[in-house]
Amino acid sequence: MPELRGSYGDQPHHILTRWFGTPDLHKLDVYADKAGGYTALRKAVVDMAPADITNEVKSSGLRGRGGAGFATGVKWSFINRGAPGPKYVVVNADESEPGTSKDRYILENSPHMLVEGILIAAYAVGANQAWVYIRGEYDEPYRMLNEAIEEARAKGYVGPKPFGKDYPLDIRLYRGHGAYICGEETALLESLEGKRAQPRSRPPFPAVKGAWGRPTLLNNVETLCTVPWIINNGGAAYTKLGTEKSPGTRLMSVSGNVNKPGVYEVELGQTFRHVIMELAGGIAGGHELKVFWPGGSSAPVLPAGMLDTKTDMESLAAARSMGGSGGVIVMDDQHCVIQAAYRLLKFYAHESCGKCTPCRVGGDWAVRMFERILANEGSQVEIDNLLRVSDGLQNGRCLCGLGDSAGWVIDSTFRHFREEYEDHALRHECNVGKSAPPALRATSPQAGRS
Amino acid sequence: MSALSPQLLDEIKELPARYPQPRSAVMPALDLAQEEIGHLTPEAMSEVAAALELDPGYVEGVATFYTLFHLSPVGKHHFYLCTNLSCALRGAGEIVDHVKKSIGVHSPDEVSADGLFSYEEVECLGACEFAPMMRFGHRYHYDLTPEKIDAVIAEKKGLVPARAKGNELLPTRGEVAPQAPEGPAKKPRPPRKKKAADA
Repeated sequence: MPELRGSYGDQPHHILTRWFGTPDLHKLDVYADKAGGYTALRKAVVDMAPADITNEVKSSGLRGRGGAGFATGVKWSFINRGAPGPKYVVVNADESEPGTSKDRYILENSPHMLVEGILIAAYAVGANQAWVYIRGEYDEPYRMLNEAIEEARAKGYVGPKPFGKDYPLDIRLYRGHGAYICGEETALLESLEGKRAQPRSRPPFPAVKGAWGRPTLLNNVETLCTVPWIINNGGAAYTKLGTEKSPGTRLMSVSGNVNKPGVYEVELGQTFRHVIMELAGGIAGGHELKVFWPGGSSAPVLPAGMLDTKTDMESLAAARSMGGSGGVIVMDDQHCVIQAAYRLLKFYAHESCGKCTPCRVGGDWAVRMFERILANEGSQVEIDNLLRVSDGLQNGRCLCGLGDSAGWVIDSTFRHFREEYEDHALRHECNVGKSAPPALRATSPQAGRS
Repeated sequence: MSALSPQLLDEIKELPARYPQPRSAVMPALDLAQEEIGHLTPEAMSEVAAALELDPGYVEGVATFYTLFHLSPVGKHHFYLCTNLSCALRGAGEIVDHVKKSIGVHSPDEVSADGLFSYEEVECLGACEFAPMMRFGHRYHYDLTPEKIDAVIAEKKGLVPARAKGNELLPTRGEVAPQAPEGPAKKPRPPRKKKAADA
């Protein structure tokens, strides 16, 4: 059994993690007997019409947990179920947003939950074939998911006649090979088709022309794992949790300078104070909170003073940030924001696929500006250049959100920590964490190949 | 003499039939090639291209895009060290320094003198609650300390008995065989002999 760091067990709001920690939950028997697994699939396939399944998901108000937060049921309804020819469900298990480990947490604990969710989704949208695009570094989750699919095949849930219904369902896996951009849905499709993962121009949207040119539903792992609960308990029950516009719960992976890093299932609308100070045990080493990324590294930062911001998507939007992937990166007052921003910009520059010029060129420019600033060679020019590059990366100038994310790192850190930028660039000094070991320092440049 | 074994090329030729369109086989094929010879040489990429009836430039274009394909030699055991923010905040920098010192290299381009080890700094590996962490030998290693690094190095050098073999499933072979409703049914191939490397 994998080591669990995070929430699990019987708590009123635990939808996804209720049965985590049960010995051998990754085995079909245990998932079925202890956790009531595959009852939702049976209900969906035997008792429900496909349109009813989609409507149930719609009524739950479930929103995609991959980052964009699009209404899941609405997305399902975009697929024309009656269209002739193959349709696909493609599962985005290419979790690679910095600070995000929730999908791994699910896959290692309850792979059958995903298998069940996929099969329900495929039946609902009229697909017979599902593909799971799983990141190549996830060796153990890959192995466990593969085993789970084989177990489900042996039971007939995956196969020509699940629960006696003449509706063939199949799931196959495809491994990624190390490219953050594959988390973007159209880049993922390109990769699945054996190409360099560069986002497509939309329209056409994947619902019309997705994998191999066919109508395709793309969902995140966590999103699909929520579906069996909704089918069992009804969409209305799901809306009793969370807020009106962001119903339900989500997994938040809390990492960085906290006492108890872990993946916690949080009812949306709870505050980040609850998530960071209570669930994750507060800031480690007796230090103070300085800043946190509320939804993966792409979500604009919030300073300590905004700890009472709520976790639902509307509250985060009002705070000029976003829920993103649910990865909460916490940084204490011993660390320098400029160095953190530099590290993230190196990430975005490295992961840019190179298709759109602002992102391909802008990321490297920003990295160079940070390097000058951190080498005490900065001036107002470098700050101005950073802000100009940041603007150039955003607002629809690129095909996907990678450029925007890079820009948001610059904008939001500058917005909340302007003084630190000016200390570094204008006065050539760092007033942060001088007494602390250089835990976060410039690392050797990565072999940037992308 | 060809870079890849005839058996492997035969195996690669069977891959395209497993996908709705043959091009999807390019990454699984490159995986097999890399597994056999350690890194992707231009000759190996050309042979993969020929086996898949693709343009060599196209195959190289794919191989150069994805960071899990090695284009230059790596050690028999390769450290994938996460240095993204969550790990950096918990000491990934010191772990990188310790690995470099312990295996005696200065940059990711080098391989240790005995050919056993190499490293690279990678982006977030999605196990942030266990930071600092790394991928090594097809599994994740958590809560890294210099002592833990020393222990895995000693193990691979054969100084201590190897732990029970963990997951050695390799990409394309471990995958479920294609079934109806699409793709021709094919007998699953018997698994090839596992390499003792990178266990």
